[in-house]
Amino acid sequence: MVQTDKPSMPSDPTPFDRLPPPPAGQRLVVTLFAGMAEIVGSRHLEIDWNGGTVADLRREILAARPAIGPLLTRSAVAVAGRYAADDRSIAAGTDVALIPPVSGG
Amino acid sequence: MSAPLSPGSSEGNPTVASALAAGAGPCRLVHGPIDGAAVLAAVSAADAGGNVLFLGSTRGVTDGVTTLGLDYEAHEPLALAMLEDLRSAAMTRFALCGCVIVHRLGRVAVGEASIAIAASAPHRKEAFAAAEWLLERLKAEVPIWKCEEDGAGVRNWLHPGDMRSGVGEER
Repeated sequence: MVQTDKPSMPSDPTPFDRLPPPPAGQRLVVTLFAGMAEIVGSRHLEIDWNGGTVADLRREILAARPAIGPLLTRSAVAVAGRYAADDRSIAAGTDVALIPPVSGG
Repeated sequence: MSAPLSPGSSEGNPTVASALAAGAGPCRLVHGPIDGAAVLAAVSAADAGGNVLFLGSTRGVTDGVTTLGLDYEAHEPLALAMLEDLRSAAMTRFALCGCVIVHRLGRVAVGEASIAIAASAPHRKEAFAAAEWLLERLKAEVPIWKCEEDGAGVRNWLHPGDMRSGVGEER
């Protein structure tokens, strides 16, 4: 489940809703920047997380926030302060950031 | 742009040390104006024969559209780590004597510098090549973004390219 700083509407029931919630603290805080933060309306997404890869995280974020899909598909994911490949495992509590195409200089 | 420099070590130059602020390393993210002369002075070295300073500044008109200013933000820890990696790679690749990279964050008005890259080498060719190589790598990989505000006050974050096509790979 993805949460932002803003209150969100309850989602439709899915099979996942019948699973027990993850233990307290089993979550990821994903930091957003630039146009991606503007689209979502928040600097952070908070995600309940039982473990998985960068690819899993991409799928979860895309399902929860389809509006950032076009940007997300062109974005890198930084895990613990470094760009990470899609098969990189992410433990709960790890610092994660979405890095949309850069435009420095 | 190049300028004559008096020989000396960038580490031991008190003028440079004060100009770049106490504790400043060769790669910096700053939230105020960039002193290009201080950046160039920071790469001065006795064995350098070519000293290059690149300044990137906010352009007032692009393709006929007025720009009021640019706002920059960054993933600061990652950006700084990547700048340091790129600088280290450039020092080796181009056999540089010195190299400093400074990027400004926040609002950058038209005509003001958002980035300064200085490189010094025994010969000019390597210094020019290093500055350009660093700029191109920075623009493609380092997590810094600009938001353009046009003459009507419309703001637009710029996200060109694709970060999933070989970021971090040698090229």
